[in-house]
Amino acid sequence: MFFHIVLERNMQLHPRYFGRNLRDNLVSKLMKDVEGTCSGRHGFVVAVTGIENVGKGLIRDGTGFVTFPVKYQCVVFRPFKGEILEAVVTMVNKMGFFAEAGPVQIFVSNHLIPDDMEFQSGDIPNYTTSDGSVKIQKDSEVRLKIIGTRVDATEIFCIGTIKDDFLGVINDPTAI
Amino acid sequence: MAQMSLATDSPSSVHSSSSDDFAAFLDGTLDGNSSSDREEEIENDAESARVKRHKVESIKEIEASTSKGPVQKNLVVAEESLKVDICTHPGSFGNMCICCGQKLDGESGVTFGYIHKGLRLHDQEISRLRNTDMKDLLCHKKLYLVLDLDHTLLNSTLLMDLNSEEVHLNTQTDSLKDVSKGSLFKLEYMHMMTKLRPFVRTFLKEASKMFEMYIYTMGDRPYALEMAKLLDPGGEYFTSKVISRDDGTQKHQKGLDVLLGQESAVLILDDTENAWMKHKDNLILMERYHFFASSCRQFGFNCKSLAESKSDESEADGALAKILKVLKRVHHTFFDEHQEDLVDRDVRQVLKTIRSEVLSGCVLVFSRIVHSALPALQKMAEQLGAICLTELDPSVTHVVATDVGTEKSRWAVKEHKFLVHPRWIEATNYFWQKQPEEDFFVKKKE
Ligand SMILES: [Mg+2]
Ligand SMILES: [Zn+2]
Repeated sequence: MFFHIVLERNMQLHPRYFGRNLRDNLVSKLMKDVEGTCSGRHGFVVAVTGIENVGKGLIRDGTGFVTFPVKYQCVVFRPFKGEILEAVVTMVNKMGFFAEAGPVQIFVSNHLIPDDMEFQSGDIPNYTTSDGSVKIQKDSEVRLKIIGTRVDATEIFCIGTIKDDFLGVINDPTAI
Repeated sequence: MAQMSLATDSPSSVHSSSSDDFAAFLDGTLDGNSSSDREEEIENDAESARVKRHKVESIKEIEASTSKGPVQKNLVVAEESLKVDICTHPGSFGNMCICCGQKLDGESGVTFGYIHKGLRLHDQEISRLRNTDMKDLLCHKKLYLVLDLDHTLLNSTLLMDLNSEEVHLNTQTDSLKDVSKGSLFKLEYMHMMTKLRPFVRTFLKEASKMFEMYIYTMGDRPYALEMAKLLDPGGEYFTSKVISRDDGTQKHQKGLDVLLGQESAVLILDDTENAWMKHKDNLILMERYHFFASSCRQFGFNCKSLAESKSDESEADGALAKILKVLKRVHHTFFDEHQEDLVDRDVRQVLKTIRSEVLSGCVLVFSRIVHSALPALQKMAEQLGAICLTELDPSVTHVVATDVGTEKSRWAVKEHKFLVHPRWIEATNYFWQKQPEEDFFVKKKE
């Protein structure tokens, strides 16, 4: 799920960046620092969308660097138990398959793949229904349901299932 | 670039009160599984009904003044705790059960980091996967083959260990742009040079038709993956099948426990027997490939390295070509005998039988072999099917000695029996074929 929230961060800036571009410099450094990172509390920071407020700078003793408390708006992504996600399959093996939804790593074990889909080894390992009509392989897009999440300091892990109505392949990479 | 270094020591973000509210909102309302109160609910089954009723009642009292939400949440939890109890938690990903999503303690089971970071499986699940995989594999007429890297498929050296007679190699390395054509590579960023063993590409191509192949090395993961890229640039053979020392369950040992294949269907190629203490019956011992001088020295050889003498192992008749023939025989024997059910067959038994045919009909007597070396040689000869006697008799076919002057050696010459060096047995053991005796005749010492 995506959220638009306000976060705060103390930014340190070298005096050379002071002047009329100070604010721009702060913003670009902020984007470089936080976009793409993951926090256990909020999930994955997708994009900084705006600055709410830049507080008064505080000069650090002995260095000349200045610390600014910056309040910024950003879009974060965090998966939740019960959420339906669309993800791209990255690896298929006899244990199940791994998929990614942005930075989120999702594992769907073969226990949670419908029983009528069987693992086929070979050059392109895949799960296929007995009539061959549905196939999951690397690069397939699947719709899955999250049944467990763990948000680490740097990574987000999820357990997913496609053993439910309306879940499974939504696009087959071989059928273009 | 002052600000670059600054980025690393800049203070961590400060959470405003609004973000705290947000996190609390998420944890409390949406993400029921992360709060610890859920785990408490699961405990104490006997008491739980009473406790839950009590809880629901106490919540009902509060409910009058608040919303209806908490009651519903608690009822859902009660239902789910039943479901959770049934799950055997066959494995985990990111410390969550792969079946029910429940958070688990990280320590049980075997890690399969070489397949995916954060993946662990428990013994029962491993054996379940092995069983289903075995059937699939046998349908495709394949077995498992575990391949060592160093001295088996290739030889690597640190660039700084190249000696003056080897530096000419620096100008002969192959392009890293298309590694599929080359065999000598300089990996500047790893400070290494790697030489692939002659015939290795044909070997892998042929072997992949008969086996599902794994790399298993005592090197670390970055090295292992880099070597896999050189050996398999197209990713045809080894994708998520590269096992390094970071993946093993025991120090200085390689084990088949991290392999999702049944031991009765696994063959191993390795130059180091001691790494496989528990799986010697699966092992085909490889003659070591020493291309670089540093590698020779490491194993105590004083002879010139292949690189120094500007030569190499034979492409058509080297160790890998010879072993490929053995693999073909083992594979053929395993699948083409129709006596028993395939699933009941054991490749270790096949290996043992084939090995025992190599020297069948040979009757050996050892003469003045160093005491410490004798038991190993004798065992080797017997595994190859030879009969070892302690005293001479007319049935003897070979006398194994290092000296022509011993009584038994002189007898051999007089009786026109083969008088061979112990290396004849070792070479026969490496190549699974009786080696021509004339290449190993014992010569007079000068
Ligand atoms: Mg080795
Ligand atoms: Zn479970």
